[in-house]
Amino acid sequence: MAKDHRAGSKVRGDKLPAILMASHLIEGDTVFLGKAGWTRDPSAARIAHDAETAAAMEAEGKAAAAANAVIDPYLVPVDLSEAGLPIARHFRDAMRQKGPSVHPDMGKQAEFAPLE
Amino acid sequence: MYRYDEFDERFVRERVAQFRGQVERRIDGSLSEDEFKPLRLKNGLYLQLHAYMLRIAVPYGTLNSRQLRQLAHIAETYDKGYGHFTTRQNLQFNWPKLKDVPDILGLLADVEMHCIQTSGNCIRNVTSDQFAGVAADEVEDPRPTAELIRQWSSLHPEFVWLPRKFKIAVTGASHDRAAIKVHDIGLKLKRDAAGAVGYEVIVGGGLGRTPMIGKVIREFLPKDELLAYLEAVMRVYNSEGRRDNKFKARVKILVHETGEEEFRARVEEEYARLDGPTINAPDEEVRRIAAYFAPPAYATLPETSAVLDAARAADPALDRFVAQNGFAHKQPGYIALTIALKEIGAVPGDMSAAQMRAFADLAETYSFDEFRVTHSQNLVLPHVRKDDVPAVFAALKAAGLASANAGLITDIIACPGLDYCALATAKSIPIAQAIAKTFADEKRQAAIGELPIKISGCINACGHHHVGAIGILGLEKGGRENYQITVGGDASEHAALGERLGPGIDAEDVPAAIEAIVETYLAEREGGESFIETVRRAGIEPFKAGFASFLDDRAPASEAAE
Repeated sequence: MAKDHRAGSKVRGDKLPAILMASHLIEGDTVFLGKAGWTRDPSAARIAHDAETAAAMEAEGKAAAAANAVIDPYLVPVDLSEAGLPIARHFRDAMRQKGPSVHPDMGKQAEFAPLE
Repeated sequence: MYRYDEFDERFVRERVAQFRGQVERRIDGSLSEDEFKPLRLKNGLYLQLHAYMLRIAVPYGTLNSRQLRQLAHIAETYDKGYGHFTTRQNLQFNWPKLKDVPDILGLLADVEMHCIQTSGNCIRNVTSDQFAGVAADEVEDPRPTAELIRQWSSLHPEFVWLPRKFKIAVTGASHDRAAIKVHDIGLKLKRDAAGAVGYEVIVGGGLGRTPMIGKVIREFLPKDELLAYLEAVMRVYNSEGRRDNKFKARVKILVHETGEEEFRARVEEEYARLDGPTINAPDEEVRRIAAYFAPPAYATLPETSAVLDAARAADPALDRFVAQNGFAHKQPGYIALTIALKEIGAVPGDMSAAQMRAFADLAETYSFDEFRVTHSQNLVLPHVRKDDVPAVFAALKAAGLASANAGLITDIIACPGLDYCALATAKSIPIAQAIAKTFADEKRQAAIGELPIKISGCINACGHHHVGAIGILGLEKGGRENYQITVGGDASEHAALGERLGPGIDAEDVPAAIEAIVETYLAEREGGESFIETVRRAGIEPFKAGFASFLDDRAPASEAAE
């Protein structure tokens, strides 16, 4: 069967800090593992600063995928803004945090405050 | 156009009901994603970067006004108010929710549409010439052939799980507008010396990571032998095509690795074993299908229209539109009009629900309730009375659909790229928008003339970059988007693959690089040559040299900026 999806992006160097990103099963929308459960707001993503937390979040993601809540969870390396918000280091993941660049009126960027 | 019979209707309704059950089982957890994915892909449902994406089949690019109004309704009710026409003459919605998809499929079935054969390793939606039934250089309308193949392939039990997807294109004209040499199978209707109609059969073309021009494996196949011969080709591919490596699984690789002669021999051997009469469609069925594509009830009109001539003389914008977007119709007094979904700065192929409704009204009133989708992500009103063109143009202008740039440098094909697609490695649409803005001046576009630019945001080549006169491929390099530029590609009967000019460049440098390539063309051009004719005559070297100078000139500025 043809692959229609590619989870994860190639990021060189240190993979931390990181957030966990996935697609919501029913909505298809990009979701982030938050402090308590999944959130659609990119600024509410839980941030792993160390390998142990990242591993625990990844396990939580796998369990959510197995429970059919989300699809294709993966860890996303981020930089932190001055306000401490997670900004994906890879442009592909950053696109998922915002929405399509050609439609500023659609996706996360239309609903949530920018990650600054 | 073709209308569903009771079997088509039942088949499509059953598929909707079946998929509704599958979605229910996915949502209640009975099906895992690994189990569900092949099922959703069989119904055109992908998962992309921001949302699911539903790809709707538009068989051989033909639609009517009722269908377009339904698409507008779906866009407004279940999506974000627009749809996107693709390079395979299909339509995609970018924001459907999984729970809504069965209802959307039900609405599509209400207007004889579906999402079958738009994904997965099956024989995909058959594509064709957008001027089918219109073009004067046509031996025969290719759409009855395309419809016959659709009916033969939709539920063919042998060919539901092929090694890889399989695309067939058909043309009936001498000038190839269906890109038949870069499809898995390309069919060209032709006449033999005795005047009988048949097909030239081309196999093993394709784009993607290993682009190939197809090979003619049958110079002339009698028309009534089509399905048995296709079955022989498919059997050879199905049994010998590679399943161990998806990158080598397309029939182009099999033809290439087997060798043209040997592949032809194996097909002929298989064909000799088949019981043709039990496979080929009966004459009465072929005639039944063909009857749906009989020419509409044209009025008897003079070739020229005094009304249109006077309106063109009075309105330069109308004159430019007709000169650029008009296509000669074989019926006197009629013209086909290309509606370029390529307003400067717009997303290539996007159409809003309001535009869909306005355009549906025009098709209904002025074009026998029919229109076409082109593989260049444009639409065509195929049968417009020349007398009506001023009124059509006025309505198109009001709907923001009167772009007079069909075939020009701003009529760019672009895949969705990284703005939507989960497979993309770089953005595609913003590159098209930036180039279009750079060349927005109408006089400049006219001076440059026909110049198809095609952009893909990854190596899979949905944007057909290999066969763009200028092709642009977006890749990831060192954590940045990087664009390789090729020149000399051609999707027509002179099919050719573009050649790279040099190293990849950054997104912001692409418009200036295109300007440098255009300057080379204008300097090299002889007489009335088009861009691709100049490349064919002068070769690639002047363009490589021009590109190298561009890179040299740009280098000091880039270094200063760093």
